[in-house]
Amino acid sequence: MTADHPDNLNEMLSVIADAMADGTPLSVSGCASKSDWGYAIADARPVSVDRWAGIIDYQPDELILTVRAGTPMTEINKTLANKNQMLGFEPPDPSVLFAKTDISNKGSIGGVLATNSSGSRRLTAGAARDFLLGFEAASGRGERFRSGGKVVKNVTGYDLSKLICGSFGTLAIMDELTLKTLPRPEDSKSVLIPAADLAAAVRHIAAILATPHEPSAAAILPSDIAALAGFGYGQMLAVIRFEGFAISVNDRVNAVLSLYPDGDSIDDAASQTLWQAIGNTALLADAAGDIWKLSCAPSAAPLVINALPDDWPLRYYADWAGGLLWLDVPTGDVTGTILRQALADHGGGFAQLIRDSGNTRSLVPPFQPLSSPQMALHKRIKAAFDPKGILNPGRMHHAI
Amino acid sequence: MQMPEPDAAIIARKRDIVAKLKTILPATSVVDSEEGCRAYDADGLSAYRQLPLVVVLPETVEQVAAIMRYCHGEGIKIVPRGSGTSLSGGALPLADAVLMAMGKFNRILDVDYDNRCVVAQPGVTNLAITHAVESEGFYYAPDPSSQIACSVGGNVAENSGGVHCLKYGLTTNNLLGIEMVTIEGEVLRLGGKHLDAGDYDLLGVMTGSEGLLGVVTEVTLRILQSPATRRALLVGFDDTAAAASAVGDIIAAGIIPAGMEMMDSLAINAAEDFVHAGYPRAAAALLIIELDGPEIEVDALIERVAALVNTAGASSIKISTSEDERMLFWAGRKSAFPAVGRISPDYLCMDGTIPRRALPDMMVRMASLSQTYGLRVANVFHAGDGNLHPLILFDANQPDELQRAEDFGADILRACVEMGGVLTGEHGVGVEKRDLMPIQFSEDDLKQQQRLKCAFDANHLLNPGKVFPELHRCAELGRLHVHHGKMPHPDLPRF
Repeated sequence: MTADHPDNLNEMLSVIADAMADGTPLSVSGCASKSDWGYAIADARPVSVDRWAGIIDYQPDELILTVRAGTPMTEINKTLANKNQMLGFEPPDPSVLFAKTDISNKGSIGGVLATNSSGSRRLTAGAARDFLLGFEAASGRGERFRSGGKVVKNVTGYDLSKLICGSFGTLAIMDELTLKTLPRPEDSKSVLIPAADLAAAVRHIAAILATPHEPSAAAILPSDIAALAGFGYGQMLAVIRFEGFAISVNDRVNAVLSLYPDGDSIDDAASQTLWQAIGNTALLADAAGDIWKLSCAPSAAPLVINALPDDWPLRYYADWAGGLLWLDVPTGDVTGTILRQALADHGGGFAQLIRDSGNTRSLVPPFQPLSSPQMALHKRIKAAFDPKGILNPGRMHHAI
Repeated sequence: MQMPEPDAAIIARKRDIVAKLKTILPATSVVDSEEGCRAYDADGLSAYRQLPLVVVLPETVEQVAAIMRYCHGEGIKIVPRGSGTSLSGGALPLADAVLMAMGKFNRILDVDYDNRCVVAQPGVTNLAITHAVESEGFYYAPDPSSQIACSVGGNVAENSGGVHCLKYGLTTNNLLGIEMVTIEGEVLRLGGKHLDAGDYDLLGVMTGSEGLLGVVTEVTLRILQSPATRRALLVGFDDTAAAASAVGDIIAAGIIPAGMEMMDSLAINAAEDFVHAGYPRAAAALLIIELDGPEIEVDALIERVAALVNTAGASSIKISTSEDERMLFWAGRKSAFPAVGRISPDYLCMDGTIPRRALPDMMVRMASLSQTYGLRVANVFHAGDGNLHPLILFDANQPDELQRAEDFGADILRACVEMGGVLTGEHGVGVEKRDLMPIQFSEDDLKQQQRLKCAFDANHLLNPGKVFPELHRCAELGRLHVHHGKMPHPDLPRF
């Protein structure tokens, strides 16, 4: 079906009213860069907010950016870079994992927030959800509503910004968004520290996070993945990034190297290239199997990895000091079950199927299954925003 | 302040309710005497007082769940309370409600340096988290000024901030997980030692929900390594607008100070009289700017900031050269409230936020309102993030002065919203700003928020009368309306 492209929120309210009247669900997208994530929406009318593009207000000295949800990330990044600012949560470029054409599609800001997509700096700066200050949206009731505000400090009313981030378009269609921006660091360098195994790498990073040297990101690359990234030392590497004013970055890098004499450092350009590969999951982009993302306690990462079957052709790496595992694992239904059991046995967290190379999502839920009281609450929240179930129904879970 | 009409039938059943609660809790953990309840009749917004029906002091999650299940089954309201330091009346009791005081949940359960977090019960104080981890160089970043007394469970309910939140965030940005009990008595765990939600971010929704959605029984907080160095500047300006633009210049230069506070002339002089911190008495505005981080960075940036404020027209600049001097710079700001208390019998502390560029207009507006109402106002202000704390001076013993002060405060908050800001930056809505909510939000906005409330608490049993000016029945909120002449399923009968 050809997608509807309403010009504004009022037209969208009309599309929603039609959908409510005839009971046809809507499949909502921005730039459609992440449409393969989650379930496809059955028998839906596609509707896009790609015409809702543009910067409404940008006040760099207040760290405030107001944009429309369909604004491409390329435009936002360019606007912020002109004032030496950035989005602190380092949104990944989805085109690396999900590209279907040669045309670069880095997604829209609405899509980044709807999927709560955050990159490597999430460890220290927060997730996408931490940077959305307020929004205007259309609910599945066909009503326009606002939440939050256009200032960085605000506790007036429920924080619906948190709820809307990561709800995959199942609650409301976002239009105007106000985000907190941050200054771009003047300099960035990374330290590479060889590690005997994953447990040792997690310990090195924990030790550095327990110093006042303020790393901004910390990843762990097993030797095969490190080689892909151009660091074929034949060893697993802990990669720790330091950002800020140049004088401070140099000082902190030197301090850390003095603690780890077998470590090495790389300069700004090499560091940026490496962290793009890490944050965009480029290091697994050629995966033959399915790509899964696991969020766990950092210290649980080695336990989770060790719990996986020895005969799997497993490739993986870790970000967020060990708390985020990216895995290339065999396609099929047993995989998700094993991953989720390994997580449950080691402190919990969640496992999401990000890229399905076969038919996995018809066999195992792509999003972490919910306990029954949690699912009941999710269904009531869905009904509070979208009582007829017309906004992206079933994108995350069949029941919402 | 009009609270919901107490349910006389519930009050009439007090004896039975107390007896039942004493089967769930030890008798000493159920306080039903007037004398005992008196200690709980208000929170930090002490202008409002109300005796609760009964106070319960549970100490296990099973007890909380059993109380919630019982109250839910019987239609009895519950008001949760942490340390009772809320400045907006969030823990104000209701005559027909059980007050659930969480003070016995006072243990730190797990200090986990490997994962940089602390698991604690909700009655632990904010400062106790830092005390538990400072030997290893860690601290808990959100630092509301009541941190010596306020509980971390209350911090979650109010999404508490502090002077360092421009750089380090509010509670919501430093909270990894909670255990909570729903009004039905269901125990839910949201988040944990991992990052982010794999489903709807209910942890984010609970944070700042002011006790209307559930009772928090455990928290997992992110701890950070303390910065190596902290230094501060004390900068005087002859002109508030110049001070405001200096703040913008610092941020535009890519510098995010750990704290950036502004005080006006009345606040400067009240603080100086009280603690003799060496504040410039003649200045129209004073900035306290604190930088933290690696020593070499702080030393370099402090010079850059000094140059920026100088260019912006500072009339005086002092840079701390010792930890004692830095603490002295802060001493005046930190005692601003008691200092103002010395020059006026009573004061009301307001909490709106504005875009910082609106500050000069706001100062003019406040001066004019001050004349209209015949009351003085002193200003302290989290300048980095635009959060105002005007202190309205009044004397409660004078007829009408409390009312005039409240009207003055409401006008300031109206002006905040008019200038593009919000009603509350960190104190919460509670009862204090409840009736002002329609200034910031449309009817549809508020109804959508209340539908979320209904998903958690369909019978409005948890902390009713707070946050929302009107209590709509959930069934009424769930009805669909006609849009553009279109009604979903027009063939169905309507009533």
